[in-house]
Amino acid sequence: MNAPMNLKADTANAQVAVDCLVIGGGLLGSAIAYYLAQAGASVRLAERSQLNSGASSQNAGSLHFQLEYRMIENGPEAARKAAEAMPLHLDAQQTWAGLEAELGMSVGAVQTGGFMVAESAQQVETLRQKVELERQCGLEVELLEGDQVRQIAPYLSNNIVGAAFCPKEGKADPRRCVLAYAQAAARLGARIDSGLGVADLRRHGSAWQVTFSDGSRCLAATVAIAAGAWAGRLAAMAGVNLPVSPVALTMTTTLRTAPLIGHLIQHAGRRLSLKQTGDGNVLIGGGWPSRLKHQDGIVDLDQRPELLLSSVSGSLSAALAVVPELSRVSVLRVWTGTTALVSDQLPLLGEVPKTQGLFIATGGSAFTLGPTYARLLADKILGRNSTFDIRPFDPRRFGSLTLA
Amino acid sequence: MPESCRLQPARDMRPAALEFFINGQPCKAYPGETVATALLACQVRGFRRSTSGTPRLPMCNMGVCHDCAVTIDGLESQRSCMVQVTVGMHVEVSDEA
Repeated sequence: MNAPMNLKADTANAQVAVDCLVIGGGLLGSAIAYYLAQAGASVRLAERSQLNSGASSQNAGSLHFQLEYRMIENGPEAARKAAEAMPLHLDAQQTWAGLEAELGMSVGAVQTGGFMVAESAQQVETLRQKVELERQCGLEVELLEGDQVRQIAPYLSNNIVGAAFCPKEGKADPRRCVLAYAQAAARLGARIDSGLGVADLRRHGSAWQVTFSDGSRCLAATVAIAAGAWAGRLAAMAGVNLPVSPVALTMTTTLRTAPLIGHLIQHAGRRLSLKQTGDGNVLIGGGWPSRLKHQDGIVDLDQRPELLLSSVSGSLSAALAVVPELSRVSVLRVWTGTTALVSDQLPLLGEVPKTQGLFIATGGSAFTLGPTYARLLADKILGRNSTFDIRPFDPRRFGSLTLA
Repeated sequence: MPESCRLQPARDMRPAALEFFINGQPCKAYPGETVATALLACQVRGFRRSTSGTPRLPMCNMGVCHDCAVTIDGLESQRSCMVQVTVGMHVEVSDEA
């Protein structure tokens, strides 16, 4: 524990004083609270709605460690840039594998491998370059031909001419992960408040004064923004501009069907993520857009984004092209959700520029990488040395957007 | 598959029986019957199975409860109470029939 963390002595007027106030009760917030509490810090977590009500539960629970389609669709240079986050992917592989043991609760993590499939020679070439890049970065991944792919995954279409296979990919259950982290954090003494939004965030002496939606206040030595789609607004509340934007997406689940798809499936040439849950439902997504609602010209994050029929038909066509047997299964439900993306597609992970004691974690593949982001950010908040270099993700790369 | 056990008086008024298939076995039904009716008349005692493996039969008969869900012509989880039986239809149920 660092010296500045001992706040209680010099804040006579404080109603409450904590080492860290975590804003947001999703995967990142709950996990940050857990890792901080584990280190002995006094932690309070404030969630404006209910725990796990945002992107952490709206996403499909992919554990993908290969570069995603959105990272390779814009050419090799963009892919190389995205590969800078590969050390996080490698760490996340290990973290997920040990998470149930660490938290003492099931999070539904199953890592039986994942394919990124190709339907054309050009896509195979994209995969070849991607695999080469990933292997240089230390990821266990190999390029397989169509027949080799179908030997491992016979349910895949004959149209699949090749695939990159990463044996540690898989899935986790988004309905369980956040509650597992939050319960573990609470057991370690973290205070968790749901239904408590943040209305104001300002510097007060050497601390942060946080005013909540119910008018109560809290003094915190440090603040961690883990608010997903709201992250940019909270940074703005502290006077800092960060290029993180809400992105609205679409998910589909089918009715339960007999075990068919034993791997995570992604596509090298179109938006697709596909997996089957333990209950038998097939989840179909992969970055298909929905439409953010607006109020007075401003994005209204309280409303669910509007469903686009083109995204439903597009994602289902992609799923059927890859796993033809899905034609016998009906759709149960389609939903939209909102995540956050940073302008350069890399995470924001570290101290918010032009501030002290204000931290943020968001952007990128924040479900897959969530436990890793959280542990690294907790290390940063605690002033500990990180297990590896997170400077490429330092929010201060965007310091010039804020005049201070 | 045993003989149908429908009420008898209507026999002269209803149209000719049609043939459909339950788990591949040819069976008889009458035009206008729902698949659920035809399956019950053919004494199917397990339309589907719950996740714990218990056989299920139609409960609401109006498309709400999903307990009558079967596979119809290859499409899984169709509510048999909401679909009319047709000539040559293939129905898969969990029962051994």
